[in-house]
Amino acid sequence: MTEIPSLVLVLTGAATGLVGALLGLGGGVFLVPLLTLALHVPIRTAIAASLISVIATASASSTINLERGLVNMRLGMSLEVATTVGGLTGGLIAASLTHRQLFLAFGTTLAIMGVVMALRSGRRNVIADANVEPGRLGGRLVEDGRTYVYRVRRLPLAMTASLVAGAISGLLGVGGGIIKVPVLNAFCGIPIRVAAATSAFMIGVTGAASAFIYFGRGDVVLPLTAAVAIGALPGSLLGARLTHKVQARSLKLLMAVVLLIVGLRMALETL
Amino acid sequence: MTSHARRLERVIEVALTGGVFVSGLLLVTGLVTASTAPLWWGVLLLILTPFVRVVVVTVGLVLDDDWPFVAISLFVMGVLLSSLWVAVRL
Repeated sequence: MTEIPSLVLVLTGAATGLVGALLGLGGGVFLVPLLTLALHVPIRTAIAASLISVIATASASSTINLERGLVNMRLGMSLEVATTVGGLTGGLIAASLTHRQLFLAFGTTLAIMGVVMALRSGRRNVIADANVEPGRLGGRLVEDGRTYVYRVRRLPLAMTASLVAGAISGLLGVGGGIIKVPVLNAFCGIPIRVAAATSAFMIGVTGAASAFIYFGRGDVVLPLTAAVAIGALPGSLLGARLTHKVQARSLKLLMAVVLLIVGLRMALETL
Repeated sequence: MTSHARRLERVIEVALTGGVFVSGLLLVTGLVTASTAPLWWGVLLLILTPFVRVVVVTVGLVLDDDWPFVAISLFVMGVLLSSLWVAVRL
């Protein structure tokens, strides 16, 4: 691997951190392809750097999301049961699968999720009557001065998606928001902003479950990882602030396009 | 949202901000001085920050007598400790 200027790595981290926080994805889904395809970083090094960067992004953006009341902490904690088990498992089996198998399966999944998001982008998951009881895991969301209620539906599906997301996070260093956010929003009744913020809240813990293993295995190249993470911090803070200003429908469509492009790009890598 | 829940969220915000700030400072120091020790500690602290968040949440839930969620939080902490244990043995 040739020496990559730190500034390039910092800017790469900043750009992926910004988009990651904006979409609640953690940014790894863009960082791994950028590091491997554009900067020719070995895939295992890129995954390890991405995991650390995703933890930085998720932790930084969660401070803002908490302040805004967008994080559903009880739902996040419940789903962390599945994401951490998935993250630990994914980190452990990362060495035993071929990259081709992983890229093909993951790419196809992303493309499908992109189509699902695009088809359901006009859907609203909130109840206008603020007096309706949200249930133990549901919540209230204040938007444009109005209070909305949402209820959590299909919890087993949310848990399954979280388990898969955790495993993918551990295997590919992508955070897992790319699976959780579309499922929580499209099938489980969670408004997109709450889904993105709650996903980011979980991603730090999910990433840590597998990052310990990558760190212990010696896959973390310190200067490269540090430069990427340093860039990801301000990028994610800016992204978390901007998410408030973007329309929910635009956010969903943007995510759908991103999922489709990244999914197809990853699937094409296997040809 | 109850004042207890809001206070817990505030403590989590402080824990996350503190972890990110100190690790960021260590990473910048390591990059500028080209020394490995601050980079190593910076990365380790960054990975530990979400773990600290889980500890803070667990303590907050114990103080709130919210035992079902204390159990959930302890399970998550157990998985993270297992991961740490595996990493140390690698």
